[in-house]
Amino acid sequence: MSAETAVRDDTAPATERRTEIVLKSSEFRRGREASWRDLELLIARVDKNGVGALSADELQRLPLLYRTALSSLAVARSIALDRNLLLYLENLGLRAYLAVYGPRVGIWAGCREFLVRGFPSAVREARWHVLLSALILLAGTAVGCALTLTDEAWFTALVPSGLAEERGPSSTRAELADGEIFAPWPGAAMAFGLMANFLFTHNTLIGIMTFSLGIAAGVPTLLLLAYQGVILGAFLALHANRDLTIEFLGWISIHGVTELTAVILCGAGGLLIADKALFPGRYSRLESLAIHGRLAARLAIGAMLLFFVAGILEGGFRQLIQSTPARFAIGGLTALIWLVYFLRGGIERTR
Amino acid sequence: MTAVYERTSRFLEGTRRGRREIMTPEGVPLPVELAELGERAGAFLLDLFFWLLATVALFIAALPVVLGIDFVIGLSIFLFLAFVVRNFYFIHFELAWQGSTPGKRINGLRVIDRRGGPLLPGAVIARNLTREIEAFMPLGLLLSLGSAARGGSGWEELSVGLWLLLFTALPFFNRDRLRAGDLIAGTMVVALPRRTLLKDLVQQSARFHFREEQLRAYGAFELQVLEELLRNRARPDATALRRDVCQRICRRIGWTSPLAEADIETFLEEFYTAERAYLEREQLYGKVHLDKHSQEKPGS
Repeated sequence: MSAETAVRDDTAPATERRTEIVLKSSEFRRGREASWRDLELLIARVDKNGVGALSADELQRLPLLYRTALSSLAVARSIALDRNLLLYLENLGLRAYLAVYGPRVGIWAGCREFLVRGFPSAVREARWHVLLSALILLAGTAVGCALTLTDEAWFTALVPSGLAEERGPSSTRAELADGEIFAPWPGAAMAFGLMANFLFTHNTLIGIMTFSLGIAAGVPTLLLLAYQGVILGAFLALHANRDLTIEFLGWISIHGVTELTAVILCGAGGLLIADKALFPGRYSRLESLAIHGRLAARLAIGAMLLFFVAGILEGGFRQLIQSTPARFAIGGLTALIWLVYFLRGGIERTR
Repeated sequence: MTAVYERTSRFLEGTRRGRREIMTPEGVPLPVELAELGERAGAFLLDLFFWLLATVALFIAALPVVLGIDFVIGLSIFLFLAFVVRNFYFIHFELAWQGSTPGKRINGLRVIDRRGGPLLPGAVIARNLTREIEAFMPLGLLLSLGSAARGGSGWEELSVGLWLLLFTALPFFNRDRLRAGDLIAGTMVVALPRRTLLKDLVQQSARFHFREEQLRAYGAFELQVLEELLRNRARPDATALRRDVCQRICRRIGWTSPLAEADIETFLEEFYTAERAYLEREQLYGKVHLDKHSQEKPGS
């Protein structure tokens, strides 16, 4: 085809007579420009109002036009020297790529999918890390308990004063029983407002730290996990020394089951990140982090929800229910619910 | 080929952003431009401002309920609202707006998957949860440092703050300017300017004719610089520049017949057309002329 030749009439002298010119790249552009413009309009609308703004017909056209633009880019790269055209096509291709491969779910649909499938399956996938995290917490509890049982001075050393409040080696049995475990319910506004809020944000921050600091090779995660256990153990020993073990366990089980599960899951997320950053296997460290970071994040955000539930249980129900057996019943029920949820949640039923 | 564009861009625009390439699922590599740290910080400050506005607005809306309770509870409700709003804000917008938030949109930034895959909700959640550690906890510590300085030892807060600042400063220490959240989520932040398609400069017909030996004088780099010159009419010295370029071209290709002042524009446009036609044809035959120097060594 001679269409590619630049100037057809080469022999003629430079006179006023004009000659026709046909460039392959210009022809190429003329044939496809309409579809690029079409795509540009669609993307502008997606950028402005989200994918939902497109009609069903336009939604179907978007990926087709996107692929056309990409193939135009590939062709233009090999035949055209027009810089503006190439930059435009690269830009159009990238913007269309983002519109086509951008997140498709809104925050609500994403949440539902997460609760039904994402969270329980993440816990199952990370079961070894969850187990390790639980063991570390347990070890911390044992240490804290053993130290404080023998010498109560350890309690003041181990438990930060903000958490200990007035409790400590000088507390008597009656003070602990009446002022703490069987303290009267402070009223709805106080209970749900102050306590749930404070406890939720405080615990959540500890949880987020346990999770995020996994990126520092997991050392802070291990320390935080063990330390949470130590504090729990110190409290346990303080009450055990005053013959309040059963009452204390009942008092704490109402929310503690949920809260400790959340702590363990945050820890598991942090450990998972540390594990995959330290031992990336056949991936590069960055790739390995990117792949498993999302799994870890699923654990962490699920743990946030558990902290929220625990905050409500603690702020509201703990002082509302004053009998130890009833407290154990609620604690046991929550344990059962979480267990079933994590083991069976989101598994497709096969006949 | 991209080397030519890199060189032209450097020549025309001076220093450039860092460029990376992502591979789309269709197998076409797309270049992306990394966002500058300053742009990202600016976007974050804007988002911070919007977040604070939203939180205060919500709090004022809830004021009739809150008023009855004492100050400490009111404050804790405010903190709780702030916590929920900021997490909701970032996650919601990055999901609904294809990886941008209001601040990012104002600064023309986008979050994308580092390897070219789709941006998943899990990644968005992961990179925003980490924000608590990177930004909000150091901020909170900084605020509490002031009160600690009055009341007692701030050493504990200070050391925790420094430790956390290490995470905040992470983007300074890696090539792709990833923050900790980007590392975990496998994302990166790119700048996405919008480019427009300008008119094709190729002329439909020609008055001046150039021989192939004349066209062989230049390569793709010079062609693209000429393209920029022809497109950029707004420059104050455009006319003088054109006359100068026209003279240089005439000298190089040995164009002897005199040119009227009014013909310079036409001459340049037609030379551009002929040169582009020649170079594109050569490229089709596998002969890529990068610049005027590559012409002298045939076969390279």
